[in-house]
Amino acid sequence: MNAIDEFSTISPNDSPNVMVVVRKLLGTNNLELDNQVEAFVVCRRDGRVVACAGLDHNTIKCVAVAEQFRGESLSLRLGSETVKLAAERSQFHLFLYSPPHNLPFFRGWSFYPLVEVPQLVVLMENSPIAIQAYCDGLREQRRQGSKIGGIVLNANPFTLGHQCLVEEAARACDWLHVFVVREDASLFSYADRLALVAAGVKHLDRVSLHPGSDYIISRATFPGYFLKDDALVDHSWAAIDLLLFREYIAPALGITHRYVGTEPFDPVTGNYNKDMEHWLQHAASAAPAITVIEVPRVSVRGIPVSASQVRRLLTRRDFDAIRDLVPASTLQFLEQKFSAAHNVTEEVGNQ
Amino acid sequence: MKVIKEAIAGTLESSDVLVKVAPTEKGTREVVLRSEVIKQFGEQIKQVVTDALDKLSVSAGSIVIEDKGALDCVIRARVQAAVLRGCSSEELDWRRLS
Amino acid sequence: MKLRRSMLFVPGDNAAMLSTSFVYKPDSIMFDLEDAVSPREKDSARLLVFQALQHAAYRDVETVVRVNSLDSEFGLKDLEVAVRGGADVVRLPKTENAQAIGELEAHVVRIERACGRPVGVTKIMAAIESASGVVNAVSIAIASPRMIAIALAGFDYLVDMRTKRSNGWQPELFYARAAVLHAARAARIDAFDVVYGNISDDAGFLREVKIAKRLGFNGKSLIHPKQVELLHKAYAPTEEEVSHARRVIAAAEDAHRKGLGVVSLDGKMIDPPVIEEAEMALQLAEAS
Repeated sequence: MNAIDEFSTISPNDSPNVMVVVRKLLGTNNLELDNQVEAFVVCRRDGRVVACAGLDHNTIKCVAVAEQFRGESLSLRLGSETVKLAAERSQFHLFLYSPPHNLPFFRGWSFYPLVEVPQLVVLMENSPIAIQAYCDGLREQRRQGSKIGGIVLNANPFTLGHQCLVEEAARACDWLHVFVVREDASLFSYADRLALVAAGVKHLDRVSLHPGSDYIISRATFPGYFLKDDALVDHSWAAIDLLLFREYIAPALGITHRYVGTEPFDPVTGNYNKDMEHWLQHAASAAPAITVIEVPRVSVRGIPVSASQVRRLLTRRDFDAIRDLVPASTLQFLEQKFSAAHNVTEEVGNQ
Repeated sequence: MKVIKEAIAGTLESSDVLVKVAPTEKGTREVVLRSEVIKQFGEQIKQVVTDALDKLSVSAGSIVIEDKGALDCVIRARVQAAVLRGCSSEELDWRRLS
Repeated sequence: MKLRRSMLFVPGDNAAMLSTSFVYKPDSIMFDLEDAVSPREKDSARLLVFQALQHAAYRDVETVVRVNSLDSEFGLKDLEVAVRGGADVVRLPKTENAQAIGELEAHVVRIERACGRPVGVTKIMAAIESASGVVNAVSIAIASPRMIAIALAGFDYLVDMRTKRSNGWQPELFYARAAVLHAARAARIDAFDVVYGNISDDAGFLREVKIAKRLGFNGKSLIHPKQVELLHKAYAPTEEEVSHARRVIAAAEDAHRKGLGVVSLDGKMIDPPVIEEAEMALQLAEAS
């Protein structure tokens, strides 16, 4: 308690000078500055930056403490300040990635391990009960059957491709669970996407539609999915998302098969499909293997239907072309929403 | 009183406690305690928490306690602070806080 | 007589310090709800201080709560905590004049009545942190029978005076120290010298303690537990002073037994203030 540590919050864009020092501190800890970080907690001792932690929405990143100051009190103070910063930004359910050997450090921050990519990274969350509570909720919706399917859709927007995938999976299974990605990082809002999926699968029985969650293709569990620059996508992040599905979600619902459409265009989703087979079906895990079924994408006039194609057509209001690619419910929604003079700017979105 | 929004109080530092409260879907009151001294003091801490919640008439909310070896009076204060924040309660009834 | 050499500041939201500060045995402990607590943590700190005040460990030490200025959105809420929690003393920061004390006292009376504490039990002390506060020190010191002490706070005062703190004998603080001290002595209350902020510089701290003691301050406000022992040692009377005091007291008791109106030692007459000083020296020696 001899030295006085001063903690402050900085925004990377507003504090280029401090960021030079932060970057250096991260470098000596073998970390790189993550451009997604919106705010840093910085600790200065005698004016010198000795520790930092970054926040990207609900994920803590870029945590570093200068080697000579790795006493417990400084690190716990850093953790407290970071958790408080998150709370001020209305983020309470927090995640972080840690190399396995740093797990005890973050246990001190009251983070609990969720899944581990062996020897590489552990995903942790700041609740001892959240994942269990989530799985308890899923278990209540468990259905009987020997072949239980699962599909995760972003549906940005919901196309005939999605509909055919769901129909085929539903035919093949005793029951099918469909999840819609909750993150609002796509052209269409989560509420709209969920409504479109609901309308598009209404005619099927033996299908449950589930809301998305932090544990399914979320910014926290699969950041690469939402990055604008595809080159940044890291396979270990897909692994984290897939292991969560295999070790928590699938066992809770008794899912034995995961269905996914082939991805001819989008490299992120394409890689995701490859990773899916590995982590759900082949990788060693305490949880049972899940059979991955890749369903060929339905084609219209020889071209596989994709949501990105629909978004492109939407920029020029080509509803005649869109009509062939989406279910009637989606078309109606698009016409309503975009017949007015809304400007659609193409964004990178998936599925 | 019901917890209507997420809130935290306290810190992760030694001799302190971090209390997280959140609304519950089913309107129940659930207390989860994690402590470094749960073997020796788990029951006592639970009692302090329950007592503080009862005095504030908290009927619904999830209350997660991450204890770092805090004294009873610290635990009581942090539970009160988190609950009052989570209930958006401005007015204090001091008799309920003793 | 209550010894007030050391008033240890404890940040109101620091659970670890609230849980341990009593082990350093300061004469008074001041729970700070003002500068040491960030605005977003005021509510939590208030509850923590309220609980600490009622803790058994703080029953045997004088407890002081520094409230925020009553003009701020926090002041009155802090005051509720201090009075209802049973603090011995409320410390008002940035006191400019006697009216501020009068206003504070009116609220203290109201809260004492509301919570059923005997009216008058909560004492008041004022921190003087500006030129006008120093000029008004006398009226502040006698503003209320609840006043037990005034403290000089150097940081804001020196900013107000457009100067900086120096090492040495600190001429920049001389007038304020003398004025505050005279006001306190005239009002028969205690006086605390400024905080010494550089906690890694013990020599600098002791230099200031020496000045404060020499001028006649009861003690200092302290921001680090380790300063408590340093200060107590510096304020301890020398062995020579102690043995002299013992002899003075023995002579006084002897005269009292014999029913003599005059006390004498080594053939010299001893006045009552000398006896009082001897009593104080022995009390200090015992507490050091």
